Amino acid sequence: MSSTLMLSAAAAPGGSVLFVIFALVACLCAVAVVAAQTVVRMAFWLVLSLGSTAALFFLADADFVGAAQLLIYVGGTLVLLVFGVMLTASGPYLKIATSPGEIILGAVVALLFLCVVVASISGVSWPEPQVSDVGALQTTAGNTLRPLGLAFLGTRPDQDLADGDQLSPGYLLPFEIVSIHLLVVLIGAAYLARAKRRAVGT
Amino acid sequence: MSLSAYLLVGAVLFVCGIVCMATKRNGIGVLMGVELVLNGANVNFVAFSKYTQLGLDGQIISLFVIVLAAAEAAVALAIALNFYNNHLTIDVDRANKLKG
Amino acid sequence: MVGETLRNLLLIAWLLPLCGFAVEIFGGFWGSRRSQVAAWLAVGCIATGFVCSASALTIWGNSNGWAVLHRAGHHEAGAADAHVAHDAPQTPSAAALAAADAHAVEKPAEAAPAGTDDPVTLAPKADEHLHDAHEHPGQPQTAFSGTLYRLAAFGGLELSLDYYIDSLTLVMFTMVTFIATCIHLFAIGYMSEELTDEYVDHHAHLRNGRHVHRPGRFYRFFAFLSLFCFSMLGLVLAGNIFQVFIFWELVGICSFLLIGFYTERKSASTAANKAFIMNRVGDFGFLIGLMVLWTYFGTFKFADTVDADGHVVQAGLFQMLPRAPDGNVIINAANGEVQIGSATAANPTNRHATIPYALLVLAGLGVFAGCIGKSAQFPLQTWLPDAMEGPTPVSALVHSATMVAAGVYLTGRFYPLFVQEVLLTIAYIGCITAFVAATIAIVATDIKKVLAYSTISQLGYMMLGLGVFGWGAGLFHLVTHAFFKSLMFLCSGSVIYGCHHEQEMPKMGGLWRKMPITAFTMLVGVMAIAGLAVPGLVGPGFGQLFAFSGFHSKDAVVATALAFVQANPAHFLLFILPLITAGVTAFYMFRLWFYTFAGTPRDHHVYDHCHESPLIMTGPLMVLAVLAAYCAWGGEEGPLYLLITGDQPAYVATGIPVAGAAGLTMPGHDAVHAVHHQAGTYALIAAFSGTFLAWLLYGSGKVDVAEIRLQLSGVHGFLANKWHFDELYDALFMRPTHIVGRFCASIDRLIFDGILHGAAGATVLVSKWDRAFDETVVDGLVNLLGNATWSAGNWLKVLQTGRLRQYVMFIVAGVVALFGVLLATFPR
Repeated sequence: MSSTLMLSAAAAPGGSVLFVIFALVACLCAVAVVAAQTVVRMAFWLVLSLGSTAALFFLADADFVGAAQLLIYVGGTLVLLVFGVMLTASGPYLKIATSPGEIILGAVVALLFLCVVVASISGVSWPEPQVSDVGALQTTAGNTLRPLGLAFLGTRPDQDLADGDQLSPGYLLPFEIVSIHLLVVLIGAAYLARAKRRAVGT
Repeated sequence: MSLSAYLLVGAVLFVCGIVCMATKRNGIGVLMGVELVLNGANVNFVAFSKYTQLGLDGQIISLFVIVLAAAEAAVALAIALNFYNNHLTIDVDRANKLKG
Repeated sequence: MVGETLRNLLLIAWLLPLCGFAVEIFGGFWGSRRSQVAAWLAVGCIATGFVCSASALTIWGNSNGWAVLHRAGHHEAGAADAHVAHDAPQTPSAAALAAADAHAVEKPAEAAPAGTDDPVTLAPKADEHLHDAHEHPGQPQTAFSGTLYRLAAFGGLELSLDYYIDSLTLVMFTMVTFIATCIHLFAIGYMSEELTDEYVDHHAHLRNGRHVHRPGRFYRFFAFLSLFCFSMLGLVLAGNIFQVFIFWELVGICSFLLIGFYTERKSASTAANKAFIMNRVGDFGFLIGLMVLWTYFGTFKFADTVDADGHVVQAGLFQMLPRAPDGNVIINAANGEVQIGSATAANPTNRHATIPYALLVLAGLGVFAGCIGKSAQFPLQTWLPDAMEGPTPVSALVHSATMVAAGVYLTGRFYPLFVQEVLLTIAYIGCITAFVAATIAIVATDIKKVLAYSTISQLGYMMLGLGVFGWGAGLFHLVTHAFFKSLMFLCSGSVIYGCHHEQEMPKMGGLWRKMPITAFTMLVGVMAIAGLAVPGLVGPGFGQLFAFSGFHSKDAVVATALAFVQANPAHFLLFILPLITAGVTAFYMFRLWFYTFAGTPRDHHVYDHCHESPLIMTGPLMVLAVLAAYCAWGGEEGPLYLLITGDQPAYVATGIPVAGAAGLTMPGHDAVHAVHHQAGTYALIAAFSGTFLAWLLYGSGKVDVAEIRLQLSGVHGFLANKWHFDELYDALFMRPTHIVGRFCASIDRLIFDGILHGAAGATVLVSKWDRAFDETVVDGLVNLLGNATWSAGNWLKVLQTGRLRQYVMFIVAGVVALFGVLLATFPR
């Protein structure tokens, strides 16, 4: 793993520096989310973390995904979360603290988990991507929009052309399912959060 | 840059998200942890799509994840608001009615 | 022909009371309690019976020309010298030998005048013949027998209802029916208190102290009396010993019913039980005797069974024990046993030719044991005084004249089968009984108890007479006793009725002024039993007016006893005791009379309220008084004695020189007659001294009886306690029975109940264990499972804190652990 890491760093020095910067920002901000005391600050650090992640996506030639990340994730979901924070604030910046024992326990478990994951990552020898591989991305400029769109509509030009016999089904069905799913979610969320009389005391 | 780096980043995000879920008493905080987890998984997918023959499928799945994360956030938030309306607090420790 | 007529007449006399019983018991139950119909029906039946019996007697006598009465010449004409020469035991004669052959020599019709002194021709004595059913050509038949009805046949043994009619039967029938008629009439008056719908019994108490109130039982009394008459007459008529036993038990039942007539009185029911049970004790011996008889003789019938042609099919009991000319039983030389039957006696069913002597003695003793029970002899005499609980007519009929006499009658009837050892036993038992009962009667105060003991004593006299070979004497006394004892009982009944059921003599006195007829008739009876006679004036013809019946009969017994003792001096007690008893008898009977009727009244309440009884009661008294006085007119030459002894066994008259293993000499008629005068004198002296002593103590008032009682209080107490027989029997029999009963009850209670309770307890215990096992183990197991599940769930519940963060933590921790394990076990 370390050899690949150094190789990659040597291959694209500019990309690697950006990568390191954004990776650090993302990780540190994620840690900051954990460490933040108030939920508002958590939201803030989360925004930063997600933004950095979007940058990482861009660096990984997943431009549409990165854009979607920024749009939907940061611009939609997080805003929603912030709205939730505002709506459920029973007092200005109320601190709901966790006990130190839990913090330590959480930290220990987290570290352990991290070790496990890292161990599993390093334990796998990932094959180098070949240029001749059909599955590899043909573009480096990051124009993944058209292939993604076609894939969602049910065609996979990159795969279909290679095989010649079998037509790949694409992701039309999941696309439709997800859209129905979103509709259901919309209705459900609207129903769940409808205005009710406030419960008298708790 | 390399696959492992991306994976590492994804792991860190994931772990932070898990810790956030496990330790935050604020319900919204828990939801933020969920976002982090999903984000970490997204990073993994994208990394795999770039560095292995996963290709486009990785990005497609990543898009799906984003969409589903949004949906899930909406619903979860609705639940949290509902909970807040009933209990006047967003402390998840108060939501112990399912206690045995 | 004559036999059939006699049979039919006696059948009517016998069965009519049975029909009367049936009608009375059912009709009386549904009829009115206040009607006397039952009584008059009973009187009618028994009176008709008397008429039939008397007619039968007449016909019988006419059929043989009253030959029996002409025997009188034998004693009359024969002066002492004619008989002195023949005092010794008679030599066997040819005729006697032929007689021993079981084909009887009938009484010669010529009734030989005893004037013929030829020693040879004297041998076929006029009064000598055996019981026989044959019609011997030229001789009129005097004994008739036959079968009435065959009950059953078990192999060779045939059980049937037979009849046996001879002069004794006819005399008994006449006597029983006559006395019964008188007593029935008396009872109509005596039991008149029962003619009510509500009778108050003053001797029976309920628990709350009140007297018993019940409907009157007038009809039932006469129904039982009728049943009793039927039973008694059946016994007399019986032609086989088994039939005697049947009617023996029947009279026992009737006695039981009549003694316990006042069923609500504890004393009466106890007395009835006692009478019946003591009779049963005697019957046990009776059955043993019957068994021996059947085993060796094979038949129960008294007389021969004759088929249509006149041939003897089966010999009767009396024929099967032939006697040698000297009167002894014949010993078979081969095995030393007694010979049964002879060459000419038909005996198809019998398998034995001889019977061991001891068994013959046993048979005799067994049959006599029944007589001991029935006739209240020692040791079974204690039931008779208690039997006075029954109404007085019952005591008069059953317990003085008839039932208790049945034992004596059977002894007389069964005489040919009694050997000398048995006769000696009979004599001693009778002697002891007579003496013991007489002594107890001296101190008895209840008027009926005195008469009861007197009855026992006189029955002992009869048995004694029979035992010392006075066959005629004993039976003679039976008949005379029946008359004067029933008379005296009826008089006492009249006294009791007149004094409103007062029975204790100390409360009476001077009653002759209020009840003259009763007093006079009682005096007649007392003189009869005492055996009084005017010494110098007694003689044939009108001289008989000066001797009452008891004198003659007691005379006969005492004379026989004296002759016996003279022949066998070792048994002197058999004369001394009867003599003393005669004096004692006179004493206590006159004591009774003086105490009750003479002197000054001791209880004025009783005296003022007493009255003479109505005519229906005093009428029978007067009739019986005449008979009691003069039924034995002529003594041993009189018609009564001759009729009774008409069919006596032959060897009785001759006597037996050396009899039995004991070597006793049994006196014959001549021996008895020789000492007759001497014995009579002794008896008369004894009677007069007894009478004088009684007059001195009770009649004259010169001697203070209470003082004598105080001075002799020990003796008095002993006698008043009836020689402690009741206590003795209580200790000998009642207590052990109670102990055995208690022992058996305790076995029942402890062992059987214990086993049952133990089983029950064990079952309960097992069920308890089962339940405990069920509850602890099975339920415990199930509960344990449930509890374990619950506590596991409870314990696991802890995990479900409901806290979201913890759940996440667990997930994480779990994943970490899982991966850790994976990585550890599957290294890359």
